[in-house]
Amino acid sequence: MRLLAVGWWLQLKVRSRSRFDGLLGVLWPLFFSTTVFLMFRAGTQSAALLSAAVGASVMGVWSATSTAAGGALQQERRQGTLELLVAAPRPFPLLILPVTLAMATVGAYSMVATLLWGRFVFGIGVTIHNPIAFLAAVVVTVVAIGVLGFLIAVCSVRYRASWALGNALEMPVWLICGFLVPLSALPAWVRPISWLLAPTWGMSAIRAAAEGRTAWLDLAACLGLAALYAAAGTVLAGRLVDSARTHATLALT
Amino acid sequence: MRVFFRGGLTSYRALFTWLSPWILIPTFLIGPVFQILFFAYVGRTAGVGSDAFFLIGNAVQYAALPCLFAMGHTISGERSSGTLPLLMASPARRIPLFLGRALPVLINGYGVALFSLVAGALLLGVRLPPATLAPLALVVAVATFGCTGLGLVTAALALYVRETAVLTNIAFGVLLIFAGVNVPLAAMPGWMVAVAEWLPLTHGIAAARQVAAGAGWADVRSDLVAEAGLGLLYVAIGLAMLAFFERESRRRSTLDTY
Amino acid sequence: MPVVDVQELTRTFRSGRGLRRREVHAVRGISFSIERGELFGLLGPNGAGKTTTIKMLITLLLPTSGRATVLGHDVVERPREIRRRVGYVFGGDRGLYERLSALDNLRYFAELYAVPAREQRGRIAELLDLVGLAGRERERVESYSRGMRQRLHIARGLLHRPEVLFLDEPSIGIDPVGARELRSTVKALAERGTTVLLTTHYMFEADELCDRIAVIAGGRIVASGTPAQLKQRVSGGGVVEVEVFGIPDGVVGGVRTLPGVRTVSVEERGQAQVLLVHTEPGADVAQAVLGRLDGARVGRVVTREPTLEDAYVELVRE
Repeated sequence: MRLLAVGWWLQLKVRSRSRFDGLLGVLWPLFFSTTVFLMFRAGTQSAALLSAAVGASVMGVWSATSTAAGGALQQERRQGTLELLVAAPRPFPLLILPVTLAMATVGAYSMVATLLWGRFVFGIGVTIHNPIAFLAAVVVTVVAIGVLGFLIAVCSVRYRASWALGNALEMPVWLICGFLVPLSALPAWVRPISWLLAPTWGMSAIRAAAEGRTAWLDLAACLGLAALYAAAGTVLAGRLVDSARTHATLALT
Repeated sequence: MRVFFRGGLTSYRALFTWLSPWILIPTFLIGPVFQILFFAYVGRTAGVGSDAFFLIGNAVQYAALPCLFAMGHTISGERSSGTLPLLMASPARRIPLFLGRALPVLINGYGVALFSLVAGALLLGVRLPPATLAPLALVVAVATFGCTGLGLVTAALALYVRETAVLTNIAFGVLLIFAGVNVPLAAMPGWMVAVAEWLPLTHGIAAARQVAAGAGWADVRSDLVAEAGLGLLYVAIGLAMLAFFERESRRRSTLDTY
Repeated sequence: MPVVDVQELTRTFRSGRGLRRREVHAVRGISFSIERGELFGLLGPNGAGKTTTIKMLITLLLPTSGRATVLGHDVVERPREIRRRVGYVFGGDRGLYERLSALDNLRYFAELYAVPAREQRGRIAELLDLVGLAGRERERVESYSRGMRQRLHIARGLLHRPEVLFLDEPSIGIDPVGARELRSTVKALAERGTTVLLTTHYMFEADELCDRIAVIAGGRIVASGTPAQLKQRVSGGGVVEVEVFGIPDGVVGGVRTLPGVRTVSVEERGQAQVLLVHTEPGADVAQAVLGRLDGARVGRVVTREPTLEDAYVELVRE
């Protein structure tokens, strides 16, 4: 447990000290949320704007995680630290999870930025009816997104091309997890996929908390799925590290 | 001619560094289709635009934008290999080199646009008459030229500021928001429309939408001319900036800027 | 029981994109063992397989065939047990989190390497003192020189008090003063009972530090023994060095066939080439060699005793 905390804290330090990452991490989601805000304002359903604002803010958390998760281990590889991580006596998954959790935490900055942007530039006043539940929901969603990123990161231990997968999954998750589009608007066959994705429940919980409805069931589902991902990722990580040791993909050459 | 091919081959190789399907499929097939789907559904939820509106807008954007990034890569590539002053010294080399770099990216963009248009149309249930594909290809080419021009300006600026990636991403964002990709120009405040008129891609996308709806050349001519004109303008500005920076770096002997 | 026991260890790399496949035999069936408290050197030129061997012993790479045990645990079956008790230090700039301070780096690795929480602070301070970085630990690593990074690497490698320390070319790219300090630190460690495996391509480093050396070239061990034993392989003979400005073709082959000549090699030294002729004891070949070089511009001619370096060159160039 302490390992997770220390790892998370120090990885957070690493990530938040990059001027480039920080700026782009906030700007990128803002481009998309601005577009979305403009769309809603121009559209006929302007009542949905408030709900969209909350959803748009979470977009950034996922962006920060998905685009970085695939590349995280590649960065460790380039830095020469990946080998040191594998050579450590601790279980490898416990070392990777803090990395993606830190990414998701950095994404939380953009969440705040988006809400403020919406408030002051677009005059979208988002009122949160249940602040405590809201905060809890945000934390759980950030964790869930971090764990989903963990799955992507684990793949990149063995397969260096996983960053492409992470990048490509940015918008599918926005769409399928119902950040901006209600699940009912998506084709029926997509819904089971949405239900299997933890961020869907997290998003639902956040929205419920903002609007004053009960969110506990959603939170439970979110946490449960996240736990499942963590378990799956752990098993996968073990196999992939062994494969990496056989095929020598831990180092750069 | 050789410069043309050399540049093209480098760009091609850079583009396909990994011939791995694990990279090609997500980046070129999944990404663009989902961008279209995402905005189309948001559009439906917000009650703005039509599916065809988002389909064309995003497909053209996805096809034309890589050229903007390619310009940035070309310039920083030339800078790191030390051949930038050489390039600036002989105008005869410039055009073939840049064109050479842009061409494979453009062709790849066509492929991506075609796939995403077809896939998007199928998934959204939009009718796209095959007769419109050829004129659309031409419109995309013009829009790409416009983006290439802006890419040159961005690259020149990035050379000076040393932050290529940040600038090209800002360019991406600005175009995403202003160029009518997902927000109808009619719905934007006056100042935004004014900015949009002077950006590449805006006229190109407008023309593309009209062509997709079956309009003829006469209808889109003014848009195409505007797009091409802007492209030329940006190319001129970009080249002028490069020349200026080169002179400045010689004057101040900041060798590493160039 | 030897601390490190290697038997017929082999590692092949398969590389190739798409259609072209290449097989690189980095390590071809090497065997050696290291006793407790020994400072063992793996000496060889670049590309000989030293790093690959070390990586197999630290369980970062799985061997293609053969067996190896560290502290009694098999590298394939029980990697976790090994990782707990083994330290890994490599040379170069990489391997640290640039944006973190040295202190943060050490804190992270202390946690990673399961140093008990209570001990961490004390241990970190102790090590910073040992490597001479105390007082600069709050600066970010990105501002560190190569020598400082190397010292931080050593501190990192020692955090969990490993029983065996694997050092991979630790003095590469370090100035002579720094390298000397490094060597004395390593020697002190070995004296205190840590078993050390050191890889290097610096002849004199192996000579100075190691209790025993294995010379590795082309993935195979070509010789092993104490530095004294290795020197003996070439002692009793002589070396004739002839400085030539432009060795004509065929001369080297011709000199090799002269009676009394063991091996011939050519070394580039600046503008000239030096013909190194290792001779049997008692053979006087200088005149004959000069005779073969008739026509070429010849500089100094030196006849001398062989050094360990000559032994190394001879072994490695076979």
